Amino acid sequence: MVSTGSTTGTAGSTTVSRRGLLGGMTLGAGVLTGNLARPAEATTRQGGLPRRVDVVVVGGGLSGLVAARRVASAGRSVLVLEARDRVGGRILNHNLRSGAVIESGGAFVGPTQDHLLALAKELGVKTFKQYAVGDNVYVSNGQATRYQGTVPPDPLILPDAAQLITRINEMSKEVPVDAPWAAPKAQEWDATSFHEWVEENSVNPGVRNLLLSYLQPTFGSDGRDMSLLFLLWYIAQSGNERNHGTFERSSDTSGGAQDSRFVGGSGLIPQRLARRLGDIVALDAAVRRIEQRSDRVVVTSDRGSVTAKRVIVATPPATALSMDWFPFLPPKKMQLLQRMPMGQLMKCDAVYRTPFWRKDGLTGMGVCDSGAVRISFDNSPADASVGVLLAFIGGSTWERYGVRSRAARRTAVLEGFAKVVGPEALNPIEYVEHDWTHERWTMGGPVALLGTGTTTSFGHTIRRPFRRVHWAGTETSTYWSGYMDGAVRAGDRAAREVLELL
Amino acid sequence: MRKRATLVIAGIAAAMGTLSAFGIAAPAQSAAERPRWDTRVFSRVPNPGYPAFVYAHPNGRVYAGSYTNPKGDSVRSRVFEWTAGGTLQRSWTVPGQDLSQAHGVQVATSDARGRLVLLEKSTSRALMLDPRTGRFTRYATFRDLPACGADGGKGCSPSVLDKPAIPNFAAWGRNGELYVTDYGQAVIWRVPPGGGKARVWLADRRLDGVEFGTTGMLLAPGRRALLVTQQTSAGLGEANTTTGKLYRIPIRSGRPAGMRLMWESLPGELPDGFGVARSGRIYVANAGLTAQIVVLGPDGEELERFPETPVTGENGSEIPFDTPSSATFLGRRILVANQSFLGTGENHAVLDVAVNERGRPTFIPRSAGRSR
Repeated sequence: MVSTGSTTGTAGSTTVSRRGLLGGMTLGAGVLTGNLARPAEATTRQGGLPRRVDVVVVGGGLSGLVAARRVASAGRSVLVLEARDRVGGRILNHNLRSGAVIESGGAFVGPTQDHLLALAKELGVKTFKQYAVGDNVYVSNGQATRYQGTVPPDPLILPDAAQLITRINEMSKEVPVDAPWAAPKAQEWDATSFHEWVEENSVNPGVRNLLLSYLQPTFGSDGRDMSLLFLLWYIAQSGNERNHGTFERSSDTSGGAQDSRFVGGSGLIPQRLARRLGDIVALDAAVRRIEQRSDRVVVTSDRGSVTAKRVIVATPPATALSMDWFPFLPPKKMQLLQRMPMGQLMKCDAVYRTPFWRKDGLTGMGVCDSGAVRISFDNSPADASVGVLLAFIGGSTWERYGVRSRAARRTAVLEGFAKVVGPEALNPIEYVEHDWTHERWTMGGPVALLGTGTTTSFGHTIRRPFRRVHWAGTETSTYWSGYMDGAVRAGDRAAREVLELL
Repeated sequence: MRKRATLVIAGIAAAMGTLSAFGIAAPAQSAAERPRWDTRVFSRVPNPGYPAFVYAHPNGRVYAGSYTNPKGDSVRSRVFEWTAGGTLQRSWTVPGQDLSQAHGVQVATSDARGRLVLLEKSTSRALMLDPRTGRFTRYATFRDLPACGADGGKGCSPSVLDKPAIPNFAAWGRNGELYVTDYGQAVIWRVPPGGGKARVWLADRRLDGVEFGTTGMLLAPGRRALLVTQQTSAGLGEANTTTGKLYRIPIRSGRPAGMRLMWESLPGELPDGFGVARSGRIYVANAGLTAQIVVLGPDGEELERFPETPVTGENGSEIPFDTPSSATFLGRRILVANQSFLGTGENHAVLDVAVNERGRPTFIPRSAGRSR
């Protein structure tokens, strides 16, 4: 199950440097074309910005970088303004003491995520299969049971889970990926939360608890703050133009969204992309104001102001709201952004000398009905130079454990791992955690949620350009929204929109 | 359009067996090319589905509208945009439809400014959609003509039954005029340059259909004639009214100069949208029972059919031909709108069929969409 997958970075600024100006001019002259394979240049952390470019991209997450790349490839000048001191947004590599790399943000990739896979291939980032050899473990009422497949074989829960999944898959086929508000039963499905729907359509309370093992890592939510329509759309868009989305593709490891990972960490993708873009990526450049005039847009950042013909905003929805807009955002767009809070999610990793559970015939994947670890994964690097277990702490589990001290949480997480793979898990050589709710420029994770009534009332504004401002970011994608693949798709689409207007 | 014949034509499958092997060498295949007729799913079409035509825009992207749901619905039609590689980009909801009526929209062509020309069924209008801004504007209206039977008359449709105007396919003329087929009435419309009220350009009983009327249209190579497909014939007194036809209608001094029959389909085949290759070959989608793509020579001689086996629609991809309604060239392939008129949403798709020859570009004069 699961994946934190989305990206999109944030905006950000200071002074205008000669180097930056020249960079913009060079781009305008069309040097950055084709495959962008020019000598790597560093992103900038200080210095001035070009005064004028064709396109400003707000946010140096994957979506923004992809948008910038396409704009630059078309011979247009472009500048990426990123608020953080790094690129990648919700994608974040973490270097372990051993030198191995794991991801603290979006990590997984799976079949039908063709756009991300193509980009990774182009950038020379290889994939490897998520370790899935052996048995998963289901921990219920303190009892650990080995199983294989997606849904734990609890005889009290299985029939209920099966009928729910079947219904979700069938209902999701009615939801257009590009316009979920236009589904025949959109009003009805948007009027109830997913949690309420499960309550009304399941028999065994155990199935509701089990669903949390899918919902919390996938959305950072228990399903109370998202509508049934949003959930169905999310399932529908877990595919591509040739393959319907299904619950299984969204939740599975092998063959699903968690099928594979990237050698060296997914963070290599935005890093290499940014390196190719060079000094058109300005870090520490939080965007504070976007002012649209009749023939141009003035973007004011912590590193200075830039005038552009078009702007692509590739930030998480809530971050876009934090900017000063002139003229003010259209009412419905503003309402939409206000109603798209991020989920609550953190990733906790425990590092061991070896992935010892493998020799016991375990995958490392565990589903638990209680505790800090509702779901665990083997998060070891490709060469298994160390063993790493990963827990997603989201939704109500985050509300309970996310607010505890790091030491208390560490204990709870390790105890959870021990239930899955045995007491050896209590003694890691390293413990790492990353709470996305503490990220100022993301404000949660892995994806923005749409509650009841939001999609049908305001959803149609999700991609609608606002004068000279266009929208990217994984949340605006028609497939794999909330994932890295959606970020790539959205960035590419937004760039095409802009290019045809330049 | 409601194109799948519900008629049962006795022995049609057997008849088709005799037509499967007209020998003409397929265009030479280069090493990297897909085999001719290799068929893949370009994209499924999201709800409301029912794609009836695919338009390959000069901007490199691909557009299709959602057409009529025969079961009825109150969902507004949408226009979808894909990249040439089949990545869904955007969609737009069509304004102003009469949802109490059968409604649907075809992206018929584009004008010199890149705006899409949409033909809307419920209100008998042509709209312009600017994909750069998402703005819709009205371009033309088509009148509901009274029926005046096969003998014809002024200001009426030489139709057996009185039906409303259903603008279906369109082609630009050399001077910026837009010709539009009418699926309901036995006429071809001419919209003046810049848009406005469409006028009857040709009224002819050969354009009267038994429910399934006039469909595809392209400006013929040389730009001095229109090619038009007719799915069925109501007023000709033919023994079998379900025989489809391809006509050539010369344009002389801006007027129609007769109708020449180029090809007749088998009964119930319902020829629909078509594309013309640079070689002059014409690829016709048969939306009816046989569910095949028929290849005709420049003179209308039938050359080839795909798939060879009629009726099943099995084309080697995971989605069979199911009311294939158009054949639009995009590079060395044709895109087929799989309307699945009586089938399932599972088959609403655009299919990508390798033909290994290039099509003639859609003719869009500089004056297209502009007032004189």
